[in-house]
Amino acid sequence: MSNNTITNDDHHHITSYAEHFGTWVSLILLTFMTVFISVFGADLNTLTVATALFIASVKALIVAYYFMHLKYDPKLYRVMILVVMALFTVFLIMLTIDYLTR
Amino acid sequence: MEHTFVLPNSGHNYDAKASKMGMWLFLYTELLLFGGLFIVYMVYRSMNPDAFLQASLNLNVWMGTINTVVLLTSSMTVAMSITAIQLGNSKLSLQLLLLTILASIIFLIIKYFEWGAKIEHGLWPGMEHFLSLSNGEQLYFYLYFFMTGLHGLHVIVGAIFIIVVMNKIKNKKINKDRYQLLENSGLYWHLVDLIWIYLFPLFYLIH
Repeated sequence: MSNNTITNDDHHHITSYAEHFGTWVSLILLTFMTVFISVFGADLNTLTVATALFIASVKALIVAYYFMHLKYDPKLYRVMILVVMALFTVFLIMLTIDYLTR
Repeated sequence: MEHTFVLPNSGHNYDAKASKMGMWLFLYTELLLFGGLFIVYMVYRSMNPDAFLQASLNLNVWMGTINTVVLLTSSMTVAMSITAIQLGNSKLSLQLLLLTILASIIFLIIKYFEWGAKIEHGLWPGMEHFLSLSNGEQLYFYLYFFMTGLHGLHVIVGAIFIIVVMNKIKNKKINKDRYQLLENSGLYWHLVDLIWIYLFPLFYLIH
């Protein structure tokens, strides 16, 4: 019926409103958790920094996987994210070594 | 005899896959742009841990929390607007995008009051109070204004992008069968959210 030469294979999945709402609820809960830990757990200095970054990363993953649709996209996008993260890690390691050996 | 050359996909110069890949490639460069700034932050913070802690007490945690909730909510509405257009409901899609625009305005208003309070206290780089601060605290405020400023700029660009998309939905240029531009604006908006997810704990939640 259609003579489109380009088909959109990766557009078949439609995320439901309920799933988006669920994603939002989990993100809000994590936000309040991180604020709570920071405001009321002030005595555990370094631990709170690590926890805050860990929670932020969980939130970032949820946004990328569900809101940005990575979970249902072709694997290529996830692989490329890994490449970017690897590149970032290389920068980080090089810079850390530089500062530690001054 | 006339020969006309017809492209195999003439009239269908729309390639959603390529468009999406292009958007993602751009987002990867954005990640590295902010990634670099986060490394700068990490180095200066590890060199001045106490000054960063001291300086961060000038920030209002609750304003930051409200802005986080506002951005997360706007991320949900933009994601839902894609669902709406996929189901053929352009009207709902437009309404959800309008909510996203409203959220971006609320975010910027709160940001305006936050920056306003800092500037009133003379914490803008170069002001008298700023110059009396220790080196570490000055670095914190340089980074605070630069990183939240660059992020705020992304919020403005993202909102303009979404307004352009809304116009195209109104003109039926974006519809059930052709909505990649909407998806791209959504991806950009989620990236803005993603960056804020890291900015928030690093500047507001140091304790």
